[in-house]
Amino acid sequence: MAGLSLKSVKKRFGDTEVITGVDLSVEDGEFLVFVGPSGCGKSTLLRMIAGLESVSDGNIEIGGRDVTHLDPARRGIAMVFQTYALYPHMTVAANIGFPLEMAGLGQGEIDRKVADAAKVLHLEPYLQRKPRELSGGQRQRVAIGRAIVRQPDVFLFDEPLSNLDAELRIQMRLEIARLHQKLKSTMVYVTHDQVEAMTLASRIVVLRAGRIEQVGAPLDLYENPDNIFVAGFIGSPRMNFVTTTVSRVADGFAYVNADTLGLKEIAVRLRGAVASAGETVTLGIRPEHFGPNGAGSLEGTVSVVERLGGVSYVHASLADGSQIAVESRDSRAYQAGQNHAFAFDTDRALLFGSDGRRL
Amino acid sequence: MKRTLPQSFVLYSGLVVVLLIIGLPFWWVITGSIKVPREIIARVPTMFPQSFTLQHFEKLFQSTDFPAYLVNSIGVALFSTVITVALALPAAYAFFRMRFPGRAALYRLILLAYAFPTIVVLIPIYGFFAKVGLIDTRTSLVIINVAFALPFSIWMMRSFLSTVPREIEEAAVIDGAPARVILLRIMAPLIAPGIASVAIFTFIASWTEYLFASVLIVSDARRTIPVGFAGIIGQYQIDWGLLLAGATAATIPVVILFAFVGRWFVSGLTEGAVK
Repeated sequence: MAGLSLKSVKKRFGDTEVITGVDLSVEDGEFLVFVGPSGCGKSTLLRMIAGLESVSDGNIEIGGRDVTHLDPARRGIAMVFQTYALYPHMTVAANIGFPLEMAGLGQGEIDRKVADAAKVLHLEPYLQRKPRELSGGQRQRVAIGRAIVRQPDVFLFDEPLSNLDAELRIQMRLEIARLHQKLKSTMVYVTHDQVEAMTLASRIVVLRAGRIEQVGAPLDLYENPDNIFVAGFIGSPRMNFVTTTVSRVADGFAYVNADTLGLKEIAVRLRGAVASAGETVTLGIRPEHFGPNGAGSLEGTVSVVERLGGVSYVHASLADGSQIAVESRDSRAYQAGQNHAFAFDTDRALLFGSDGRRL
Repeated sequence: MKRTLPQSFVLYSGLVVVLLIIGLPFWWVITGSIKVPREIIARVPTMFPQSFTLQHFEKLFQSTDFPAYLVNSIGVALFSTVITVALALPAAYAFFRMRFPGRAALYRLILLAYAFPTIVVLIPIYGFFAKVGLIDTRTSLVIINVAFALPFSIWMMRSFLSTVPREIEEAAVIDGAPARVILLRIMAPLIAPGIASVAIFTFIASWTEYLFASVLIVSDARRTIPVGFAGIIGQYQIDWGLLLAGATAATIPVVILFAFVGRWFVSGLTEGAVK
């Protein structure tokens, strides 16, 4: 086991820079998740750590060893691909044992390690089957088995659950979490699914356009985002954003209002960056922070109500045409077409400047 | 979609016509080889044999050099096939995966080998082979067959390689497999239909090659079937029974080859790998 560090890592394809200088340090045993929208460079970054993509600039260290220009096989990593990438003509046992065979281990030792991995992943009955005779979840477990037998310093997962159906995805997510607890290895995991990121990660790295937007523990990112992008990306349904105007600033609070939306002046705590009176700022409110006892309130017309049983998500249009999503425990309180004042907890609201930075 | 009666009629009529065009000559040759000579040259030809004899085959194998031609042909075709596959596979992989200067240009250039009519290259090749002492050797035919089959084989195998999902190769790289192992243990089994196609293409091209075999081989004992056969026909008269028996016997190795490599033509070899 070992930590991982990226120092000013860049990647260029021709003139296009897709990774624009990433600095990152991953502790030994940490479960780090790269998350971001399509094309943000998360998979490219993972492939650079794996050695499947060259590094244009900067360096990568695994366990204190510079591996920037080493072959993938000599980096002490194992990778699980989104598409499983099993060897279709080999049995499950041969698939799992292949990296050990390449490492020059004897057949006896290979068989023993394959049996151990199969036991961990509940693959024992399938060892003599070919990949095409397995279900999607079983195939992904074989791919994980092929990774764990190598006892790598760092595990790399490239969207490993994307090809699975919803139910299996939840099940495999738990299995990966258990595997991490058991192996205590460093794991780097790429996903575009922020639920996966929130549930699995010790720390999340939010990427956008080849740049790190924020790194932090899942709840830190959720409660204390650095900018509007992270605030919008983490959380489902996403945070609501409303354009407001600062009327005054005092004692670490900004007083904002939006008369057209029915929002009377409310006080929002500032984090550090200073807002000035008259400035147009964005107010961020999470759907679950709406509730009957809130100090602030927005007026809107209910467009759709998604009733999930325990909670409902009420989607409403505001006077300026923007949409908000409101979480409600009272499934029968809202009907489409009705006008409502949606109260929210102003203590939990966030402010963002015109450049998107958190105020 | 359900076909209407007229559509089915047109479809099956078309199939019957195609089947007759392809199948009738074979039927004629095979049935002719077991007819007695009188029936073969009868004024009114018989579609179904009225007689049965193996005398033509007996004569073919006992009184002519056909067995020698057959052995020569099998040897030349097998060596040509094995060498072509052995060279085309790594060459195609290099064109597919390795980065080297001029790769794209070279890849386009290899098919240019077919731009020259065979007869144009025959004379310089004869001169060259004469200098290195390869005239009247079966090796010369193997070299020629490999040289002519290789460009197309590389081109075809590269197309097959490109159908293998890239992640499988990358997984093998991470697992520590060197290029040789990736090619032989991972890629080759996955493109078995491609290898089989190349093998059949080369075998048949070598089996039927006439021009070079007729020029480069001088002695009767080293001739291959197409050339040797021409000799049988032309010597004094046309022995139709012998000719048809020879033609039948000549197709048998090809039929065996198809039966042998046919099982590689199975679809879905990569099934289960990446989905």
